[in-house]
Amino acid sequence: MPRAKFQTLTEQMFYVLLCLREECCGMDILDRVPAVTLGRVSVGSGTLYNLLEQFCQAGMIRETRVEGRRRSYVLTDYGRETLDREYRRIRAQAEDYQLAFGKGLER
Amino acid sequence: MRETKRRLELYSFYDRTGLERHLERMAEKGWLLEKIGQFFWTYRRIEPKHLTFSVCYFPAASAFDPGPSEEQQTFYDFCAHAGWILAASNAQLQVFYNERERPVPIETDPVEEVDTIHRTMKRSFLPSQLVLLGLGVLNAALLVLRFMDDPILVLAQSSSMFSSMCWALVFIMVAVELAGYFRWHAKAVRAAERGERCETRSRRKLQIAGLIFLAVCLFYFLASTLLSGNRFMITLTLLLPLLYVPGAFLAVNGIKRFMKGMEAPAGVNRAVTLVGSFVLLCAVLGIITAGTIFALDRGWLDGEQTTYEYQGRTYTLRRDPVPLALDDLLEGDFSRYEHRRMEEQSLLLGQCTVHQWPIGPWELFPERVYLNYEVVLVKVPFLYDLCREAKLHERDDWDTGDPEDVWYGYAFAPADPAPWGAEEAYRWTDGSDARGERENQFLLFYPDRIVNISMQWDQPPTPAQMAVVGEKLGGL
Repeated sequence: MPRAKFQTLTEQMFYVLLCLREECCGMDILDRVPAVTLGRVSVGSGTLYNLLEQFCQAGMIRETRVEGRRRSYVLTDYGRETLDREYRRIRAQAEDYQLAFGKGLER
Repeated sequence: MRETKRRLELYSFYDRTGLERHLERMAEKGWLLEKIGQFFWTYRRIEPKHLTFSVCYFPAASAFDPGPSEEQQTFYDFCAHAGWILAASNAQLQVFYNERERPVPIETDPVEEVDTIHRTMKRSFLPSQLVLLGLGVLNAALLVLRFMDDPILVLAQSSSMFSSMCWALVFIMVAVELAGYFRWHAKAVRAAERGERCETRSRRKLQIAGLIFLAVCLFYFLASTLLSGNRFMITLTLLLPLLYVPGAFLAVNGIKRFMKGMEAPAGVNRAVTLVGSFVLLCAVLGIITAGTIFALDRGWLDGEQTTYEYQGRTYTLRRDPVPLALDDLLEGDFSRYEHRRMEEQSLLLGQCTVHQWPIGPWELFPERVYLNYEVVLVKVPFLYDLCREAKLHERDDWDTGDPEDVWYGYAFAPADPAPWGAEEAYRWTDGSDARGERENQFLLFYPDRIVNISMQWDQPPTPAQMAVVGEKLGGL
């Protein structure tokens, strides 16, 4: 079954939104996501372009500045809510794991 | 040494996997994609090296855009930031390359990627392919109807065979392409849900086979047309492929490019190109039709013509060369009779229809006679039975069952083939053994041809006349 749009977030969606807690443009996001995740997650240019468009349409981010073709965005309250919901979901999953296996991975 | 080269690339529009592999191989051979044209792709020479290619799609782009939109340029900026350089683009198709070692792909989310490809397909590829498929089905239906009505004409007309084959090819190619796309899309959606990217499948062999088939059909058409010696068809054959089709292509592209040069918005360009092309193509078709009528009117495309004067009036007769004339069968002066011959020739069948009738005032022809015949030459033996059946049953619907009807009770009844030198003979009769022009109609079967002759005069044909028919038309 395909997941309902933004009901849950992919890792890439999660980190793009996380980067937008403060105003930044698309190219900043391309750099910040791998930096924040220590290279574990990268977002492709095409994927980011589409995500920014969809987040804007869904009201999860808003455009703040346009300098030539450089557009900056920031997270909206609704975007923050979505991000919080996803955080709670991930935490719930982590807690379930701990309940099942104890403290966690010894790594 | 050549610095550029052009290639015909036979890949499906959505076949990004095949294209990426191919472009990487080309770069390793020292050729980098530079331009995606309507038919040919242009490459420029580079130092052979490994480059990573990414074929992706920008759904909002259009072939009618004056240039990349601001959104498209923003997308290019994002790509450039990640080291992706635009090699070439055509409408929604965007081809990038990257010189970095293991670059981050342009599309990193399979769900988004499949969605982008499908949105692109829905905007351009799918509507055009569905229209083509519809036209293919329509043409196939028309061909089947025409074949059921007159299989001999369909098989003997090289132009109709050629267009039917072309449409059959279009139908098969489009059907395979659409089925392939939908199959891939369904698989890609499932794979994307698992976080996997689904590779596209190339159908180059099928495309090459299609091109070869098209070349064979074209050869068949040209060879058949030239063999027929029909000046009218040869002229049309030369006019259509050499002038009309490239002319139409140049017109459509010329208007589109001109409008792009004027920086007209995509919508305006699309409308002007559509209307302009339609008007231009109608005008060219009108000129060709008017030219053909003009040429026919002056007899430029006709066979031999002759004239005679009677009571201050000039009568013009067409005197096509015919294998059997009234002079061969009857005593009398038939110099004022028109000989009209129509011929269809293909590599499978030949069909020659001849009509001879008087031209001029009635008083000149107290005994008015007519001679009409059709010779079907079967060039490939396996079609003989089909043609035989078609001819024997051609008039099945002439007898409507109405006793008042002129053909009530008429059918082809077996007759003695010996005087005709034929293998089989049938006479058109109602069984009453009445004699007359209505019954001087015969269907004659020779080893490689079928003759359908109507001798419209009162006396039944004599054995001598039958022998002449056998000799002149039966190929004896």
